[in-house]
Amino acid sequence: MAAAKASLKIKGKGKGSKESSSKYELFKDWTNWSLKKAKVATHYGFIPLIIVLGMKSDPNTHLFQLLSPV
Amino acid sequence: MADLFPPLATAQVDAKTKVDEKVDYSNLPCPVPYDEVHREAYMSLKAENFEGFRFDFSKGLNQKFSLSHSVMMGPTEVPSQSPDTTIKIPVAHYEFGANYFDPKLMLVGRVMTDGRLNARLKADLSDKLILKANAQLTGEPHMSHSVFNFDYMGKDYRAQLQLGNNALVGATYIQSVTPRLSLGGEVFWAGVPRKSGLGYAARYETDQMVASAQVASTGNVVMNYVQKISEKVSLATDFVYNYFSRDVVASVGYDYILRQSRIRGKVDSNGVTSALLEERLSMGLNFLLSAEIDHKKKDYKFGFGLTVG
Repeated sequence: MAAAKASLKIKGKGKGSKESSSKYELFKDWTNWSLKKAKVATHYGFIPLIIVLGMKSDPNTHLFQLLSPV
Repeated sequence: MADLFPPLATAQVDAKTKVDEKVDYSNLPCPVPYDEVHREAYMSLKAENFEGFRFDFSKGLNQKFSLSHSVMMGPTEVPSQSPDTTIKIPVAHYEFGANYFDPKLMLVGRVMTDGRLNARLKADLSDKLILKANAQLTGEPHMSHSVFNFDYMGKDYRAQLQLGNNALVGATYIQSVTPRLSLGGEVFWAGVPRKSGLGYAARYETDQMVASAQVASTGNVVMNYVQKISEKVSLATDFVYNYFSRDVVASVGYDYILRQSRIRGKVDSNGVTSALLEERLSMGLNFLLSAEIDHKKKDYKFGFGLTVG
């Protein structure tokens, strides 16, 4: 009986702490996931972003001007 | 080429008139940023020597937009077990870059054939607040670094907050104390090797010379002095001492800015002699020659290159 009560108490405590820590864990996991996605997006998209911004700025340049050697 | 010391000269024009009359402490010039406290000394003493062949081609498409292609072939050093031997592996790479320059936004990106991206961003968020970001991203996990700096420029002070990945936080502050003297300090905390550090810097400049010193809690003490002999010549000397590891290095360097060329060199107390020559062959065509001779380690590095555009 005492052992069952003790085990119930431990289970209750474990659940409570798990709930509060799980929110923190969720927040950490979410920030890690978003940072990883941001890193991949920057890695692939930074140079194309610069090229698109440059091509749109005042005299508009076309793609073949980028590729030609002159 | 004549714009060697532009901020120094303007600060000195203000400083001279003020020193002649009386120091107006409420109207001091804005100091140089904390990272650039040793700027003039490092122009001669920390020139970019390279080894091998280098070719840079830069094509401007627009007022604001340009592309660059760069090829580098040469031996690269690999860290070796014993400090006496240097291991070099021949390597060749091609780097593609794109730059976008706007009055308020500057973006610079460089990507190599192995997928490494080097990205820099500088944005003027307001009149006095500047955001700078610098990132090196690789495909390998945990090998990427990025640093974000927020710079605030006040009337006679500058403050900077720095945030980096792996929980790096730093702050620097520099203040003009008299028209010629500015003092600054920095504090940083790095999460991965759990350590924090503190540092102080001082810089005294006049029309003809700049003297600066920096002390850090990592044990580094740096002192340097630059004398501008004429419009074309300046000499610099540097003393670095680490009071934990007892390493001492002293060096003397020169910087000659001539009409068609610029030559910088230095001699070190470690037995290293180096020089870098940049010669303008014609409009837009620059020829580079670099040499670095380490007599103690018997490591000889010679390089040549061409820059177009």
